[in-house]
Amino acid sequence: MTFEPKILGILCNWCSYTGADLAGTSRIKYSPNVRVVRVMCSGRVDPQFILKAFAEGADGVLVAGCHPGDCHYIEGNYKTIRRMALLKHMLADYGIEPERFRLEWVSAGEGDRWAHVVNKITEDVRKLGPSKIKKTAKKASPAA
Amino acid sequence: MKRISIDPITRLEGHGKIDIFLADDGSVANCYFQVPELRGFEKFIEGMPIEEVPRVVSRICGV
Amino acid sequence: MAKFKLASYWASACGGCDVAILDVHEKILDIAAAADIVFWPIALDFKYQDVEAMPDGHIDVTLFHGAVRNSENEHLAHLLRAKSKALVAFGSCAHIGGIPGLANLFTKEEIFKRVYQETPSTVNPENITPQPKVTVAEGDLTIPELYNTVHTLNQVVDVDYYVPGCPPTPKQIWNVVQVIVSGKLPPKGSVIGASEKTQCDECTLKKNGEKKITAFKRIATAQPDPAICFLEQGFLCMGPATRGGCDTRCQLSGVPCRGCYGAPAGVLDQGAKALSAIASIIDAKEEAEVQRIVDQIPDSLRSFNRFGIPASLITRKVL
Ligand code: FES
Repeated sequence: MTFEPKILGILCNWCSYTGADLAGTSRIKYSPNVRVVRVMCSGRVDPQFILKAFAEGADGVLVAGCHPGDCHYIEGNYKTIRRMALLKHMLADYGIEPERFRLEWVSAGEGDRWAHVVNKITEDVRKLGPSKIKKTAKKASPAA
Repeated sequence: MKRISIDPITRLEGHGKIDIFLADDGSVANCYFQVPELRGFEKFIEGMPIEEVPRVVSRICGV
Repeated sequence: MAKFKLASYWASACGGCDVAILDVHEKILDIAAAADIVFWPIALDFKYQDVEAMPDGHIDVTLFHGAVRNSENEHLAHLLRAKSKALVAFGSCAHIGGIPGLANLFTKEEIFKRVYQETPSTVNPENITPQPKVTVAEGDLTIPELYNTVHTLNQVVDVDYYVPGCPPTPKQIWNVVQVIVSGKLPPKGSVIGASEKTQCDECTLKKNGEKKITAFKRIATAQPDPAICFLEQGFLCMGPATRGGCDTRCQLSGVPCRGCYGAPAGVLDQGAKALSAIASIIDAKEEAEVQRIVDQIPDSLRSFNRFGIPASLITRKVL
């Protein structure tokens, strides 16, 4: 059986979620591996969300927002750029491969781009195989 | 052979254990001092910015 | 009033928590007046078998310092849990892993190799490393097994209270003792001997207003003004993502907060929170410029999560 990656997508409401919607209404075919969570703005994406996704077993995480300059809250996605740049360093220190985490800009009109972004991360993560992060079971013997 | 185990050694910093073996006449035949702990500072400070090291290695011993 | 029974134990720790207890100075006599100390290896001569002989629940309060790093730490955690009415994770190591938790960025093999082979002061041509069991002429000798991953106390046993700090301040220790003596214990799971606010809420250094960082500075190469907020000056400070309660001792000594009190209430991951707060004050919009600035931080995980990797969402480096 081929490995089907589980990828979490966190999308801003105004551009990327609408872009993903457009991909659907335009009947573009793309990988079904990204589970989408909608937030109002990519600036709402707390780095804790991404660590939690990995800790809970996601094989990859995709954050998508409006193109720089187009954020509906003006400055939101600039914060995203800074946070995700720093988070990438932290993920690398954890030994998580860079291909497992992406920040992408997808506008409301870019249904085809959304499909491309999803296919790309799915293929990259598929090549890497399942995430090796182990859940720490509460009250387990540390010897295990 | 009779064995006396002192576990843990107390009133000092750190963990330690002593096993003393007694010969039949009660004299000490042999004695082993064992350190049952390791934290690994030698490894985990590698690559750390130099100015951060003093505040980490001060936790080797807080006594 | 009957005296309460108190125990203090160190697992994977440096002994600084025990010394911090002694740092309450002459008040230690008040503690001795209120409490019967039934186990305290650093100060008094009790053996493990004395603890094993106690009935369950015999000890009223155990202050447990140190992380769980090996099989002996784990055994003592279970033993003291059974023998104690209240088990307190005392200090950063028991609370969130502490400095020993940095070992979670490496494997046991890497650590053994460095410690027993590579360090310049080591001469070990036969490559002898500690083994849990060694047979000598007189019999078997055993030492605990070192685990690959450092654990917090509550990952191993049920914990009643948490006292953060590396080490907890004597003032806070005294507060904790008073809470215990009064018998008015807070709900199980509470963090005691600390505040509910962040370091920044309690920090008295001068803040000039909006923080904007265009370059990160390091204490090794730049001199901070000790009267002004370190973050405003571009020095990494964990204040925004660290629980208060220590009277901001580090900041007042001229060095930025390193985060030993752990995450404030409601924060799951101290490192991610610190990263988020500090990233958001970088004064740049272009991706290349942002990259240039964040690349100035030489060691991101250990800088943002110095004390709490074992308690974080991701508890160790991926193997
Ligand atoms: S609204 Fe889309 S990124 Fe802010």
